[in-house]
Amino acid sequence: MTTTGFNPLEHRGIPLDRQVRNWRELDVDPIDPDHSDPYTRCRIITMNGIEVEALLFSHQFARNCADMDVKRRLAEVRYIEQQQQKAVNWLLPGASSALETTIAYEQVAVDLTAWVARMEPDPYLKQAYQFGVLEDFDHLYRYANLYEMVQRRKAERIVDDLTEVIPGRPTKYHHRHPADNVREPYDRSTAAPISKLHALTIMSAEQQTMNFYMNVGPEYMEPIARQLYQEIGLIEEEHVTHYESLVDPGETWWERLVNHEYNECYLYYSFMQTESDRRIKAIWELHLNMELEHLHLACELMRANDGREPEEVLAPELPAPVTFEPNKEYLRELLDTQIDLTTLGTGYVQEAHERFEAMQDALMGGELPPSERVIDLHREQFGTDYRHATNGEHPVASLRQQHTTS
Amino acid sequence: MTTTSEPDTERDADVVELLIGQHMEIRDLFAEVQSSAGEQRSDAFARLVRLLAVHETAEEMVVHPATRRSVDGGDAIVEDRLAEEEHAKEQLAHLESIGTEDPSFPEKLARLREAVLQHAHHEEAYEFRYLRQQHDPEQLRRMAGLVRAAERTAPTHPHPSTQSATANLVAGPAVALFDRVKDAVRSALSDDRK
Repeated sequence: MTTTGFNPLEHRGIPLDRQVRNWRELDVDPIDPDHSDPYTRCRIITMNGIEVEALLFSHQFARNCADMDVKRRLAEVRYIEQQQQKAVNWLLPGASSALETTIAYEQVAVDLTAWVARMEPDPYLKQAYQFGVLEDFDHLYRYANLYEMVQRRKAERIVDDLTEVIPGRPTKYHHRHPADNVREPYDRSTAAPISKLHALTIMSAEQQTMNFYMNVGPEYMEPIARQLYQEIGLIEEEHVTHYESLVDPGETWWERLVNHEYNECYLYYSFMQTESDRRIKAIWELHLNMELEHLHLACELMRANDGREPEEVLAPELPAPVTFEPNKEYLRELLDTQIDLTTLGTGYVQEAHERFEAMQDALMGGELPPSERVIDLHREQFGTDYRHATNGEHPVASLRQQHTTS
Repeated sequence: MTTTSEPDTERDADVVELLIGQHMEIRDLFAEVQSSAGEQRSDAFARLVRLLAVHETAEEMVVHPATRRSVDGGDAIVEDRLAEEEHAKEQLAHLESIGTEDPSFPEKLARLREAVLQHAHHEEAYEFRYLRQQHDPEQLRRMAGLVRAAERTAPTHPHPSTQSATANLVAGPAVALFDRVKDAVRSALSDDRK
């Protein structure tokens, strides 16, 4: 296979009746918590989010479908997808704490969203990713400060020198009126296929982050940890609203199913091309071969029930592979130009408008939010906040590091 | 690189923070031994042996008794931890006897690392999380003082440029080091009770 010219519709994968794995095959060896490529862990986290969305989507589809044969077909493929999710997510090592995995989730959010923003051809969609990425970037910084406080270790041991840890758009300003999180959707008939894949990918990643934080947050005993997970968990709700509203709701269920399966092929193919760990690369290749069959079955359903050819809605070949790589200068440029944006209606503004202020007042109750207190607590204990800046001082003067003199 | 913020270790960190911090140091030292070679490896291994001796002994003498006293089912929890520690000590002594240049060293070290990381995880999940519930901040700080006393008595880092023979001498035998730390904690404990 080469990096260009791969059309998933022209390939048949592993027949569905040969895709069930036994316990031994499901019992994957996790990656090493301290010697792995951080971007290998990012790819695992991304594919877990993609598989979870596949499952949730399939369940919703089944609940809205009266055709027994279709329900049975969905159940068959969904079971395999559950096994894929297990095989992928169980690659994460038990030796890593939930907070370490959280920091890795934020590294995914930063470098995946930045890459998608760079590649997105539609200016309105591009703006949505640029807006969101500055928020994930700040979450990484807040969790990294929590990490050093509760686990006595620096987040650079997790993200390495690939991603900087410095303030983004301050988390306290992410709490917008919920109505202002709804964006305009793309038009399914005119949007480029790559735009649909981007929206689905980022929506899935953010959805998984939302689910993870809402479940893992209460596992912590430290009050500041519990509180920070609540606060950032609520922002993930905003992000899922933001990204899911980009997808055209006029797509039929069949079309959506085909898009989901196609996106899974695209991402497994991408990661197979870019994976540095040979053992994990073999898993991406195996899953690609399973997904090719899932896509084929979805296309059959579309032809039979939608009266359309899948080729009408899909790209003729896979776009350039989604790649995890440093985006440091790109992020610094965004920090420099978009730090003070918020949303109003479906657009973006710079002023703190009335509805934004009302939401802020209701939520803050006259106190500092956990995302501010975590930094204050860190300064009390360590004399300053934690940062991992590799490319110079912060582009925004007001966000440069302050040292308390003791 | 402008990475900043150094933890002020003498700040009134409590025993949980201190021990979790040591778990992280142990984990990072394992990674260092695994990714280095030659003298660098034997030096890193000597530091690992020293830290494990300090850490495990302090836990045996300070944390486990507290767990026995205050956690429901504490005796059984501690017995499990002691069995893991005993097993790890044997592996450690064996690794020390074969030396860092032995062809089987990497594989045996990897096995020890897995056992130690799992042991640390068990302590955090089944012991540390209860310590803060069951003890007031003053008690936790006093326990931290005992752990630090143990740390002070163990021989300090071998000089980075020492030959591996010297490094081994400083580090071992590990068993003797464990005993030495144990004596120091015992005397700190009796001072503490006066």
